[in-house]
Amino acid sequence: MSLFLAKLSCKRDIDEVIKTVAEKVLVLRFGRDEDSVCLQLDEILSKTAHDLSNMASIYIVDVDSAPVYTRYFDISYIPSTVFFFNGQHMKVDYGSPDHTKFVGSFKTKQDFLDLIEVIYRGAMRGKMIVKSPIDPQNIPKYDLLYHGI
Amino acid sequence: MGAFYCAICRQTSFSGKAHIFGKSHQSKLKVVLVKFLEKVKEARRTIKNPQVERFDCTQHKRKCWCYCCGLEVERDVTDGDITVLFGGLLEHMARPDHRKGTHTFWWENKADPKLRDKFIITENEMERFKTEVAKALGSFEDKEDGLIKQQATHIRAQEQHRQEVLQSLIEPKAELELSNTEGPCNSVDEASSSSHFRAPGSDEQARSGRVDQMVARQWAGPGQGLTFIGYQDSSNSGNVHTGAIPPWLQEDPNEGRSGTMEQAIGPSLQDFLKQKEQEKLKKLPPNRVGANFDHSSQTDANWLPSFGRVWNSGRRWQSRHQFREEEGQTNRQKRKRDQGAEGTKKPNRLNSDYSMHCT
Repeated sequence: MSLFLAKLSCKRDIDEVIKTVAEKVLVLRFGRDEDSVCLQLDEILSKTAHDLSNMASIYIVDVDSAPVYTRYFDISYIPSTVFFFNGQHMKVDYGSPDHTKFVGSFKTKQDFLDLIEVIYRGAMRGKMIVKSPIDPQNIPKYDLLYHGI
Repeated sequence: MGAFYCAICRQTSFSGKAHIFGKSHQSKLKVVLVKFLEKVKEARRTIKNPQVERFDCTQHKRKCWCYCCGLEVERDVTDGDITVLFGGLLEHMARPDHRKGTHTFWWENKADPKLRDKFIITENEMERFKTEVAKALGSFEDKEDGLIKQQATHIRAQEQHRQEVLQSLIEPKAELELSNTEGPCNSVDEASSSSHFRAPGSDEQARSGRVDQMVARQWAGPGQGLTFIGYQDSSNSGNVHTGAIPPWLQEDPNEGRSGTMEQAIGPSLQDFLKQKEQEKLKKLPPNRVGANFDHSSQTDANWLPSFGRVWNSGRRWQSRHQFREEEGQTNRQKRKRDQGAEGTKKPNRLNSDYSMHCT
């Protein structure tokens, strides 16, 4: 499934993509291609990529290829999905402890579509943090490890 | 004497009360009374046996014309849910002013006095009617309750059937799912707890709750099954939570190498700006003046009419003509000078130079 999504393999590519994608939500999936949950998420991403092509650009990033980003976003669980708009990191309140990224896979395609739409609308209105429309039951649960940050 | 309108014949008669004894009036009166009597007879029948029914807005709001009082009266009595048929008519006919009206009607129209009493309802009859109505209402409500209970049991049976079908579908599916999930999902615990739940039995609420729990457990599976890739130590550099500089805004150690790449990226920035301008242009109305102006076409000097004189009077073509003449002269002079210079002057100069040098 991740064959159909564009991949970024080095920090410079990621930088370029963040700086050049304009007026669209940028979705970066950090994870590994072989992981089972990543595969589920990749399937949802690739199936919705065409329908969302005017609102969002979706890219796959391997966590091992850009350790700078992995450290910066504190990615401990994969897959983690980070959203940008016009070079600005978008935060979303999912009801989970971490607003900077979405951890895990989406339950349905529709959840992902709704989330992208809410991010897009919020960004168009100038909001840098939006509230997720996904039912909190469908958000994967994980433990956030606090290590004296 | 005077104009007198008879409501039964629907005519104005000027002969006073004489027309009442005439044939036409009496025959019309009979017809009217017969029709009215039919309705009253039906109403009387319901005194002993009142008909109580559920309110039906199409049929139960009928009105009746009482000839005696000259009023329209509602035939049935209703409170929105239940109706007593002919109740309105009976109530009206029991009233004292209806009695008076009936008497005057009989006197005015000289109708048959035997029929008169049929159109009045005495108080005793009214009392009887009321008691009968109370009884009828009671029995009607009992019947309605019975119907409602029947419907309720039917609905409950349907709901049970549906739950059973759902159960039978979920159970084999849940067994498959539980056997497929990996270690971190506590599948063993799930299997044991769900089997515990199956034991207590057939309470409907517990069943629907169980279904929800099973569905929730199936989805929580991936959440617990996320791969952990290790604690990201960002104590040196800081991360997004501590507000460090994002990597895409940081200076890249590889940028020395990418200097050439930067130059190659240059035009793309120009393209980007051009694209932005074009988008702005797209928002302008397409039929504005000069929309299809070709900015890249070459123009010569004759594009602008630059021949206008300021202090001239006369026609425009004259000024154009003059301008062209002057242009033509200067062109010819220029050409001549050039040609002359080439042909005559240069050799002279040369000769003179040579001569100068010689001597």
